[in-house]
Amino acid sequence: MNAQFPVRRARLFAASLAMLLLLLATVAGGQRRRVRKPVAPTSARIDYSQFLHSTPKHQAACSTCHLAPTENWRKARTFPDVADYPGHAACVGCHRPQFFRSAKPVICSVCHAKVSPRDDARFSFGKPGTLRQFVIEFPHDKHQDVIARVLRQLETRPARFVRTSFTAADDHTKHYNNCEICHAPRTNAAIAPTGGWPDSFTPEAAFFKTAPHDHSSCFNCHWKSQQPTSANCAGCHKPAEKSYLPADTPARISMKFRHAREQHLAECTTCHINITKSSSLRGLAPDVPITSCSECHNKDGLRLDVSKELEAIDKNKDFVCSYCHTSDVGRRDPPGSHYLIAGREAIKRKDVK
Amino acid sequence: MRFLSLILLALCVVVDGQTTSSPGGTVLRLRVRVKVGSATRGLARKRFYLVRGSLAQNKTMVEEVERRALISRECFYRSAGASDALLKWLAEGDCETVYCREVSADDVSGVTAVPEFVAAVAAGEKQFGSAELARKWVTINLPDSLRNGFYQVRQNSLGASLKQAEETSGAKVLSVMTDRNGTAYFTDLQPGVYTLSSILPSEIGNMNVSWNCELQVKADERGFEKPYLLSNRNDKNVKCVGVEKPLPVCESANK
Repeated sequence: MNAQFPVRRARLFAASLAMLLLLLATVAGGQRRRVRKPVAPTSARIDYSQFLHSTPKHQAACSTCHLAPTENWRKARTFPDVADYPGHAACVGCHRPQFFRSAKPVICSVCHAKVSPRDDARFSFGKPGTLRQFVIEFPHDKHQDVIARVLRQLETRPARFVRTSFTAADDHTKHYNNCEICHAPRTNAAIAPTGGWPDSFTPEAAFFKTAPHDHSSCFNCHWKSQQPTSANCAGCHKPAEKSYLPADTPARISMKFRHAREQHLAECTTCHINITKSSSLRGLAPDVPITSCSECHNKDGLRLDVSKELEAIDKNKDFVCSYCHTSDVGRRDPPGSHYLIAGREAIKRKDVK
Repeated sequence: MRFLSLILLALCVVVDGQTTSSPGGTVLRLRVRVKVGSATRGLARKRFYLVRGSLAQNKTMVEEVERRALISRECFYRSAGASDALLKWLAEGDCETVYCREVSADDVSGVTAVPEFVAAVAAGEKQFGSAELARKWVTINLPDSLRNGFYQVRQNSLGASLKQAEETSGAKVLSVMTDRNGTAYFTDLQPGVYTLSSILPSEIGNMNVSWNCELQVKADERGFEKPYLLSNRNDKNVKCVGVEKPLPVCESANK
């Protein structure tokens, strides 16, 4: 019996050692898999039809490649602007092999509409339909600080009948710089979202304001002297975390609101109450509180548009609010703020019997 | 088992995060009315700041703000060599900077022409070959001191006060600007005591007016809009009365 112990021990030791080795091998194998280096991309795998500003060698100062203004600005714009792509010299220093690779080098298609030595037509600058690689840094608060100061001259203006609106009548109207420098009334229809407009309700152009899409409302003050100037692209253009296609479909909660309606001529910040404290475009959210609407749309003796729809939900939990909203929003539970201005306790549709 | 516990723990964290999210704060509606002579009007385009903490807690900042003698608009522009025509142009629109309103054709020619604008337009026309473009872009050819000097002086002073306020309160200072009717909103305020301050004085008539008041946002005001009236005159509904000081006399006027 005693003589069997060393043999058993030896077998046990061998088995444990084997298991330990197996375990170590598995762990080491796993580590090897995890630390496996990616295969270095070969030139054949690079898509030369796409120009990426994020490529490390493309991150020199912007003026290394871009001119401000470009030579074509008088033809392309009504003001000095960056209106064209950089010249060949900006690319060929590094990409000579790609330039002379074949009869139709794919790298040419970054700028040129046709890849042909007999056709030098280029896409319009800011190639349409391509992913954007930069976001804009625009501090609304700073701009609000320097633009219009409007003082109504109550004491000097004679009383007279005026058309009903929020704007003061003034025979000597001066053009005060205000939000409309950048956000003018929209003149072209908004592009419908994928899948079409909810309820087939197509908002007119006049429902919206524009947002700047070029330098026209920047360079008039920032061309030179006032930073960020036209030579300091990075002062406004920041690399986007992810490339994106700019949306031309306005995201709205109250799709039926019409900016151009004659009664909706209050100053922008009267309703967009958070804009004057916004130091960046990032995180901007719909910021019009219901109280901006209720002054006219939910006042005893005037109109009770909100209260009436809340009462309709009391009678029918499936009622869809449609005075301001399309059904994608109008079928949701109204927010507490709506009940607050109606002077009622908030309820949920599911609790309506 | 351990893996399962980790998943359960992660789920608990997510659920907890959802249930403890803030239901929205209080809205403070500022209304600023000022009386000049016999007329009362809303104070347009004036920035107000909300600092966490009581007046006593923000005493150093408030005392500094009240003690500070800021140069007036007229004194600044006069010292920067502005012409009488430019001073008149600024005063007509109550403009602090040349960015305030459009420079019209009348401002660059004829009897009402502002010499600084005329010179800037001439320089712009030389650069761009268009008098119209040069007029629209007139500010780019103005000297720095006339273009944004006054704004910078005020910003430097403001920046120092904001830094001090944030260091004292340990919280970011909020700010809003009044619209043309003198109304502005602070949104999503959490319950607590705040100091409402204009930090920089406003030139109203021939006075500098500044506001520094304490206000409280109560827990039961969550989700409500709290009206708050400010003025340069004491009245029954006014919650914050501004302190008036005569505008400083320009140094050049003493000489």
